[in-house]
Amino acid sequence: MSLLRFENVSKSYGDEEVLHDVSFELDAGDVEVIVGPSGSGKSTLLRCVNRLTEIDDGAIYLDGEDVHAMDENALRRRVGMVFQDFNLFAHRTARGNVTLGLTEVLGLSEREATERAEQYLQRVGVADQAEAYPAELSGGQKQRVGIARALAMDPDLILFDEPTSALDPELVGEVLGVMRDLADDGMTMLAVTHEMGFARSVASRLTFLEDGRIVERGPPERLFEQPDHDRTREFLGGLTDLHR
Amino acid sequence: MIDTASQANGIEAVFGPGGQIDSVLQAGDWAFVAANWEYLLAGTVVTILLTITSLSLGFLAGFPAGAIEVYGSGRLSDAVSTFGVLLRGTPIVVLVVLFHFGLPLPRLGSIPWLEINLTAFLSATLALGLRSGAYQSQVFRGAIQSIDDGQLEAARSVGMSTRQSIRHVVFPQALRRSLPGFQNEFTIVLKDTSIAFAIGLAELLTRAENLYLQPGKGTAVMEVILTITAIYFVLTFATNRSLDALHDRYSIPGGSE
Repeated sequence: MSLLRFENVSKSYGDEEVLHDVSFELDAGDVEVIVGPSGSGKSTLLRCVNRLTEIDDGAIYLDGEDVHAMDENALRRRVGMVFQDFNLFAHRTARGNVTLGLTEVLGLSEREATERAEQYLQRVGVADQAEAYPAELSGGQKQRVGIARALAMDPDLILFDEPTSALDPELVGEVLGVMRDLADDGMTMLAVTHEMGFARSVASRLTFLEDGRIVERGPPERLFEQPDHDRTREFLGGLTDLHR
Repeated sequence: MIDTASQANGIEAVFGPGGQIDSVLQAGDWAFVAANWEYLLAGTVVTILLTITSLSLGFLAGFPAGAIEVYGSGRLSDAVSTFGVLLRGTPIVVLVVLFHFGLPLPRLGSIPWLEINLTAFLSATLALGLRSGAYQSQVFRGAIQSIDDGQLEAARSVGMSTRQSIRHVVFPQALRRSLPGFQNEFTIVLKDTSIAFAIGLAELLTRAENLYLQPGKGTAVMEVILTITAIYFVLTFATNRSLDALHDRYSIPGGSE
């Protein structure tokens, strides 16, 4: 059974339809990269998974369960999210950012949470910054803490909403490196990113979304080399040139 | 009819012919102030106590009120904000007098050394406290609204309920951002305790008047007033410095606040 399934999902903001009849599924361990022009509905699609945005039509299933029938906090415990602007808790240290969910949501003791946080900060390579506050960290370090925060909750799936878009170019690599390691460890990921190198080498599937519709979806090599649609070729070609 | 003639006589009886305040500083009058140091000290204690009770009441009323204005349902939030508008739109002297004479407050005794009427202390606390709460609510409301939505979203996305997210993520940051506004409010309330003079509560200003209105002490007006002015200044200066230190202590490292 697929881990995540979108079934004819539609979503509108007022008169504007941002997602139109979107269907796809994802197996455990898959890395799905979504690309598309600005305003194509990529972020909305991610936010529907953990119900930061509610859909109008269709259904989304996590491990066979309709997410709308689930308690939203229980759902979010199982679906991590990494944000473009990091959204680290400004008043807590790197470690404190990771422990908050562990103590408040998972009910771990302060000590257990601290141990677990250290372990995940280590895993993303910022263990030496555990005591630092977000304002004292570089963008790349912030995003790695953001990943540790999501990862420490031991989610079934992590959503990445343009995780490298707010970073200075020289810091992009360290974040992609962590994401690559996660993929290698079998973490299921749904990522909106325009890092085509990452998409090509890590993604199991690439989805091209435009005007709220899936234009084309498939293994990245095929979309890059022999897309069915000219629009896909045009868009991916443009991105690849940009990032060459 | 108000008998202005006998009023003028009363002033002359105190201040001498012509009702002029004696503005010449005299050694004898300073000695008079010094001799009454304990009386003024008790007044200073009353002023400090009244500041603390009023600010505490202001915080207890103002913080929830600010939160309700941001998160509350329409009707509750409207009620709170209307109450705030009324309190902020009424002169504080009027509030103190209104609460003292208008509210059915219990008759309480007095405290010996401080010589304060507890009922007057209570009405002054209510007036200063609720008025401060009305202003503090705006400080907190602004601070809560200044927290980026992404903070709440991030908290919700790890599975925290809205209540947990507000408590653990929004409030701790909003409280830090409120400190400068709260500091301002501290100074205002401290100085405004002198308004309890209007209902005869034995705080600093009331005591100052009690001193120079004693028969034959009319020459000491300036000395007495300058003394309490200095006391007010030391109190505001010291609290401001302490709150600055508190602000530094709790500001978020690396942050702009």
